[in-house]
Amino acid sequence: MATIKVTEQKVILCGEYGVGKSSIFRRFANNTFVSNNDRKSTLGLDNINKQYTIDEKTIRLQLWDTGGMERVASITSSYYKFAEAAILVFSLDNPTSFHLLSQHLLDIVTYAENAKIFLCGNKSDLESVDPQVTDVEMEQFCEQCHNLISATYKTSCKTGHGVDEMFEDIARHLVEANRSRMELHDMDKDHFKITSSDEIDEPSCLC
Amino acid sequence: MDEEYDAIVLGTGLKECILSGMLSVSGKKVLHVDRNKYYGGESASITPLEDLFSKFKAPPPDGSYGRGRDWNVDLIPKFLMANGLLVKLLIHTGVTRYLEFKSVEGSYVYKSAKISKVPIDQQEALSSDLMGLFEKRRFRNFLIWVQNVQEDDPKSWDGFDPFSNNMQALYNKFNLDKNTQDFTGHALALYRDDDYIGQSAIGTIRRIKLYSDSLARYGKSPYLYPMYGLGELPQGFARLSAIYGGTYMLDKPIDEIVMEDGKVVGVRSGTEVAKCKQVFCDPTYVTDKVRKVGQVIRCICLLDHPISGTGDALSTQIIIPQKQVNRNSDIYVSLVSHTHQVAAKGWFVAMVSTTVETSNPEAEIKPGIDLLGPIKQKFVSVSDYLEPTDNGLNSQLFISTSYDATTHFETTCLDVLDIFKRATGEEFDFNKVKHELGDEDQ
Ligand SMILES: Cc1cc2nc3c(=O)[nH]c(=O)nc-3n(C[C@H](O)[C@H](O)[C@H](O)COP(=O)(O)OP(=O)(O)OC[C@H]3O[C@@H](n4cnc5c(N)ncnc54)[C@H](O)[C@@H]3O)c2cc1C
Ligand SMILES: Nc1nc2c(ncn2[C@@H]2O[C@H](COP(=O)(O)OP(=O)(O)O)[C@@H](O)[C@H]2O)c(=O)[nH]1
Ligand SMILES: [Mg+2]
Repeated sequence: MATIKVTEQKVILCGEYGVGKSSIFRRFANNTFVSNNDRKSTLGLDNINKQYTIDEKTIRLQLWDTGGMERVASITSSYYKFAEAAILVFSLDNPTSFHLLSQHLLDIVTYAENAKIFLCGNKSDLESVDPQVTDVEMEQFCEQCHNLISATYKTSCKTGHGVDEMFEDIARHLVEANRSRMELHDMDKDHFKITSSDEIDEPSCLC
Repeated sequence: MDEEYDAIVLGTGLKECILSGMLSVSGKKVLHVDRNKYYGGESASITPLEDLFSKFKAPPPDGSYGRGRDWNVDLIPKFLMANGLLVKLLIHTGVTRYLEFKSVEGSYVYKSAKISKVPIDQQEALSSDLMGLFEKRRFRNFLIWVQNVQEDDPKSWDGFDPFSNNMQALYNKFNLDKNTQDFTGHALALYRDDDYIGQSAIGTIRRIKLYSDSLARYGKSPYLYPMYGLGELPQGFARLSAIYGGTYMLDKPIDEIVMEDGKVVGVRSGTEVAKCKQVFCDPTYVTDKVRKVGQVIRCICLLDHPISGTGDALSTQIIIPQKQVNRNSDIYVSLVSHTHQVAAKGWFVAMVSTTVETSNPEAEIKPGIDLLGPIKQKFVSVSDYLEPTDNGLNSQLFISTSYDATTHFETTCLDVLDIFKRATGEEFDFNKVKHELGDEDQ
């Protein structure tokens, strides 16, 4: 039944508070940037769909933002469930946000075991001649985590640089990973989301 | 923490998380605190399995249980009625987008020392051994009558006023025998005891309609169960609260609810005080303002096989009506499994629960335990059922009741909606949220 429907791929943003996850979300959603978060505009909206076409295959990325829960408490484990991809974000001008990545990585592999993981250094516009986090350090990090990281990107939400390219590349990775799986995928899935009851028309009877 | 809030919510159990979500959505500034490191309190699903064993002070599980983190074991067993209040709350708040569900495969009822499937359609009803042929016809007439009743249209009542007459009178009208009454009251209307028989028939009629409307939604049974366990539910509502501005703090001990002139003014943790106008909490945060009204026994059983007689169902509910085993309250058995991502491959989690009636509660659940076959591991807990002694109207301290022995969330939601009304003076406006959420796909 679900063969014609384009499968949605849940992609989650992970990383320290303030590294730019919500800004990436906003770029993805409507390609805008605000320096001191105009929070009203996203009130209540925490995931958004966008369609990509890669080599004639269509795929829908559904990007999820944390909702700011990481500010003081931990993110709920349910945030990670059903994720096909996770973007591990740190800020290129903030070495601490880079050093704390391993904790977030651990959460991803614990709760979203099958997710493909991508590393994203954000705020590239703030990268100076003397970088706070070097390319070598990023490479070392990927090696240390046994090549769990599928790809690395640098983005700037302020200028928009690298953001589109990142999502397109992630879409490509997911299409490749799913090439064989996609046709079968939704066919044998027997769990579902509940929807409003408006569509049942006939009254029921046990009798 | 040293800030001022409209409301502080203590504990991240399901009731508190729903309240927190509803308050944030209504524009209130909310601080939500839990003394534990994890979300969910008593409504958490325990993971990994090692944590469940250590919680009950058992030696660690051996290798046969598979990977510990494939387990998410509920402490309180419940299913969602597909057309019930919790599902309505999930839909209207948009929390449903965080969750995936499976339909429970079948519902069974215990009669004369064996279990029978609760029929879900006419074909199953005809072949059922629950009642004889003539009784089946009477029962069918009864169900058709129930289905046709419109509360605001006396013409549909067919000469029987469901408001002024009690349930016994309705059973008599259709000549239903004691067994059928038992089945109707306990397996369809899901009453825990027989008090309903003397009460107005309309209550039972509403419950039977809820059951059949729920059944109509997904077919196999009226019940739903979330993937990864019930602990996903409080987390979903917590997320709702957070995206509407709620602030979360875990692992934060609460030392005092600060009162002035009998009214709540804040909450203290160590030397920090957060000011607020209202506090919402579960009974464990205010042991001096609750009274014990009973006890519930729950026994978690890990099995490596389905329950015999259920067609190898991967999920099921069995109701043992009180009279069948000479009790005053029903015994419930629920079963979920690896197919819900709550156990490792090939494993099942059964839960037997009831309201405690004697000084030997473990003996009381024996009829339920006996249905399960060989049990690999058993964890028994007896918890007090606590009720607030203060309705909060003056103190602005709103305390939820403990989770009862029912197998669904209807009473849970009623308590939440009642607290919301007491605290805000208005009914929760389901439509408000729905419109604001708008269309997610732009
Ligand atoms: C994707 C996403 C990411 C987020 N990330 C973060 C984050 O990183 N950090 C963070 O702190 N928060 C985050 N949030 C939460 C959210 O941005 C704000 O908390 C939310 O906008 C409310 O903020 P506020 O209480 O300051 O009210 P404001 O948005 O500043 O609104 C001002 C006033 O309006 C009232 N108000 C707010 N909402 C309503 C409403 N629905 N109905 C009636 N009145 C209302 C409030 O009482 C408030 O006093 C995120 C939310 C989303 C959806
Ligand atoms: N200069 C610069 N600032 C950014 C960039 N991305 C985000 N920010 C700012 O960093 C702050 C935190 O961003 P936010 O998206 O809320 O981070 P989050 O907590 O990870 O969601 C905000 O003030 C943003 O304006 C970027 O690429 N460059
Ligand atoms: Mg954010």
